[in-house]
Amino acid sequence: MIDFILPLFGRFHPILVHLPIGFLVFGVILIFWSAEKYAIYSPIIKLAFLLGGISAGLASISGFMQFQYEGYGWDTVQLHLILGIFTTFLSFGLWYHLQKSAVSPPRLKIKGALLLAILTLTGHLGGNITHGENYFTEVLPPALQAFLGGEASSNEPLELPADNWEEVEFFTGAIQPILDQNCKSCHNPKKLKGELDLSSFKGIHKGGENGAILENGNARESSLFARLILPEDHDDHMPPKDKRQPRKEEIELIKAWIESGSAEHATLGETSIQLSLVEPFFKKDEKPFYPVVAVPTLAEDSISILRGSGFFAEVVKTDSPFLKISCINFPAFSDSDWSLLASAKEQIVYLDLTGTKITDAILEQVSSLPNLTVLKLNQTFIEGKNLDKLNQSNNLKLLYLNETKVNSGQLKALDKHPRLEKVFAFDTPAADSGTSSQFSFHLETGNLSLPPLPTDTIVY
Amino acid sequence: MQNLDKMLAEFAQQKLEKQTRRHFLMDCVAKVGGLAMAPLMFGCGTGSSELNLSQRDLNPLSPLPPPYGAKAKSIIYLHMAGAPSQLELFDFKPELAKYHNQPCPQSLLEGKKFAFIRGVPKMLGPQANFSQHGESGAWISDYMPHFQKLADEVSFLKAVHTDQFNHGPAQLLMQTGSARLGRPSLGSWVTYGLGTENQNLPGFVVLTSGGKTPDAGKSVWGSGFLPSVYQGVQCRSKGDPVLYLDDPEGMSRNLKKNVIDAINTVNKEEFNAYGDPEILARINQYEMAYRMQIEVPEVMNITDEPESIHQLYGTKPGAESLANNCLLARKLVEKGVRFVQLYDWGWDTHGTDHDGSIDMGLRNKCREMDRPVSALLLDLKQRGLLEDTLVVWGGEFGRTPMQENREGKTQSFLGRDHHGDAFTMWMAGGGIKPGVTYGRTDDFGFSGIEDKVSVHDIHATILHLMGFDHEQFTYEFQGRPFRLTDVEGELINKILA
Ligand code: HEC
Repeated sequence: MIDFILPLFGRFHPILVHLPIGFLVFGVILIFWSAEKYAIYSPIIKLAFLLGGISAGLASISGFMQFQYEGYGWDTVQLHLILGIFTTFLSFGLWYHLQKSAVSPPRLKIKGALLLAILTLTGHLGGNITHGENYFTEVLPPALQAFLGGEASSNEPLELPADNWEEVEFFTGAIQPILDQNCKSCHNPKKLKGELDLSSFKGIHKGGENGAILENGNARESSLFARLILPEDHDDHMPPKDKRQPRKEEIELIKAWIESGSAEHATLGETSIQLSLVEPFFKKDEKPFYPVVAVPTLAEDSISILRGSGFFAEVVKTDSPFLKISCINFPAFSDSDWSLLASAKEQIVYLDLTGTKITDAILEQVSSLPNLTVLKLNQTFIEGKNLDKLNQSNNLKLLYLNETKVNSGQLKALDKHPRLEKVFAFDTPAADSGTSSQFSFHLETGNLSLPPLPTDTIVY
Repeated sequence: MQNLDKMLAEFAQQKLEKQTRRHFLMDCVAKVGGLAMAPLMFGCGTGSSELNLSQRDLNPLSPLPPPYGAKAKSIIYLHMAGAPSQLELFDFKPELAKYHNQPCPQSLLEGKKFAFIRGVPKMLGPQANFSQHGESGAWISDYMPHFQKLADEVSFLKAVHTDQFNHGPAQLLMQTGSARLGRPSLGSWVTYGLGTENQNLPGFVVLTSGGKTPDAGKSVWGSGFLPSVYQGVQCRSKGDPVLYLDDPEGMSRNLKKNVIDAINTVNKEEFNAYGDPEILARINQYEMAYRMQIEVPEVMNITDEPESIHQLYGTKPGAESLANNCLLARKLVEKGVRFVQLYDWGWDTHGTDHDGSIDMGLRNKCREMDRPVSALLLDLKQRGLLEDTLVVWGGEFGRTPMQENREGKTQSFLGRDHHGDAFTMWMAGGGIKPGVTYGRTDDFGFSGIEDKVSVHDIHATILHLMGFDHEQFTYEFQGRPFRLTDVEGELINKILA
């Protein structure tokens, strides 16, 4: 037989499985529905179970083919496969049973319900194989997940301690975490793509369907590395195109590990690896600029409405919920326009009201933005009367008050603000008074100058 | 508007002429079918946007979020065209002084090509006095006495290298990532990737001073294969800021508005008929040009600046000078312009004449640059603009530690030839760790010996600060994705905050 037929048939499994579900559920519903009128419905019920049996059979065979040709482990499919075959026989059995008896057989409802339960279990187990066991729990809130005993998948990128990285084991401390993050989803004992398990040292040394994936000390000959550096649209490229790709530095580290002899327990220090290869993984104590809180993403059409009102509105980076709002194209913005921003209260982290018609009154509203980090009020009618309101914006880091009427007494109200780092008050009464007094934040009052030098006028 | 009616009538006539029976039938089938499908596919259609057009289709300069967190939102790039001598400004080489007027060691000449040096030239000791400044202890010469005070604000790259030693190709490489014509400039890439915040000003503005534009011509701010809306808009500090932006004589602003409205009405009809988003982009551009007519002269006018600011920068309104351009650069980024590129011509000090001499002409040039560039940094700092503006300073290459001997003869003035193996650039502001000196050159300042960085590394770093991964920021052209950094470029991590 042409050898692609069977694997191809296997691929139909995800489609075929829906047929028995449909037929059998329909049949069981009819059993409950018909009740007294069984005689009228019995031909349809029988047909439903016959078709259910046939399609369950086809689904089982195609499922078996997929198991044979697609690298699923027996442990993974075992129960699903057995229950699938069981469902097939049960359906045929029920059909035969009904065929034999003219009237409604005893306890038919219980038999139907039993079949339905087994069918559901089979389907659920199948779903787990394709969508992952945490398909349902994934979307639950973390607290509920923990309650249900679910485990968050280890998606942590590799990090190494900067001070004692030499003592970290090269394999367990660096390579396995990289493989866990990039490869484990397909190469684990349950889902043996390419018959390869990359979730343990043993699995890696065992190799895959084409044998060993490590050539001692030679990275280019080792498919564990060679496949990673193939062009992304090459058939053999790993991980497959469109899947999450490892970073360049991670690939370099895998290469270095193979070239160091791919030992299981040697430490990074023992392999005398170059510092530049591990440096990219050092934990940075970089504090994120914007607050670390979960905020819902504002729908794109809500952002469009903001733009339509005249604001510059954009998320601070792709996939971030945080918004940057500026009135650069909206100089007419005044206190009464505040309600236009109501939909984005939680998301606004950067608000630039420079050059608008706002007054002190707006600070009351501004302070209600929980995540505001940068606030620009330059060139406005702000006089600073209720500047103390901004003490409620406890994420505020940068405050711009250039060319306003604030004075240094008013700025004192913000002394001891928990996060405020810098206040710019160039060309304000605060700057003119010359008191760069001590505040908990850095006050930039400007008036910087470059005093003339004799050399300014010498022409050579 | 009689003329508009006439135009519309003409337009309708043309359209009818194009309409044949076959078109009519096709239209009927397509539209009746479409009518039935429409509610199914679009739900309750609003009628206005039948096509799923993105913001970008309508307005190619509309802002986009940076893919990664950006440290800077604007860039001011100060390009000293002609290539200033690093050996007189920042790269202090006391050892070179000892070899002054000695023949150049053969080891430096082997396998090297120079633009003008032939045979064995003499070494040329540093002509400036150097001292260390700030807490960082950065070396800055007395050619830039004001800038000495800013040593702790900037980060120096002491071992930049390029593989080009002629102005045109080297400027192209520095600005477009390729020494050959046809690639988009850095400013175009950034404007394409991020758009611009102020919708009444261009996103990428170019200002030139020094009497000439760069040798490589306008391609250094060209858009290459990117759509042409992303090219730099050259503004002049003298006369009309943007050529042809003013209304012609006898044409009032109202009349202009009517013309644009009329053109746009026709274009809208055209769009309704063909649904080509290019037409909408065109409509938008007409409107933007009209808005720019007001905003550009306003922002380009420096006469309203207070006297203290004029003193700080050394500006004289009406002149075409680097000083005026530095002040304009601040005003432009303050107004939300994405990329401001300054070119100052006249740094090509070969020693062929007084102006091109290392000890006199270069000093004059430095005096004209020292105050305004220092002032720009201070002014950005006092307004808090340095928090999210990246400032880059540099030439297209450096200069030789040897004295130029054009045609084998000694020059009448002290001069240095083009040299790409090692030169100094600096960066400051958004995302740059201040006070760092990165890279080291040998005792003659001839080659980098530590922490060398290439032009591509600089591009990678600039893109990183603007929120891009230079390896993923691509544009599909002629069947393959293109990058600013081609297949090179490493982040210069040590200068990042
Ligand atoms: C989306 C699923 C997926 C991910 C993620 C994935 N792979 Fe694979 N891998 C496969 C499949 C399917 C095959 C078998 C087909 C083939 O040989 O290309 C395979 C085969 C391989 C093989 C060849 C095994 C053999 O003996 O033929 C190697 C080596 C390999 N993968 C390495 C990796 C590495 C390393 C990673 C992580 C950086 C990775 N893969 C991530 C799906 C995946």
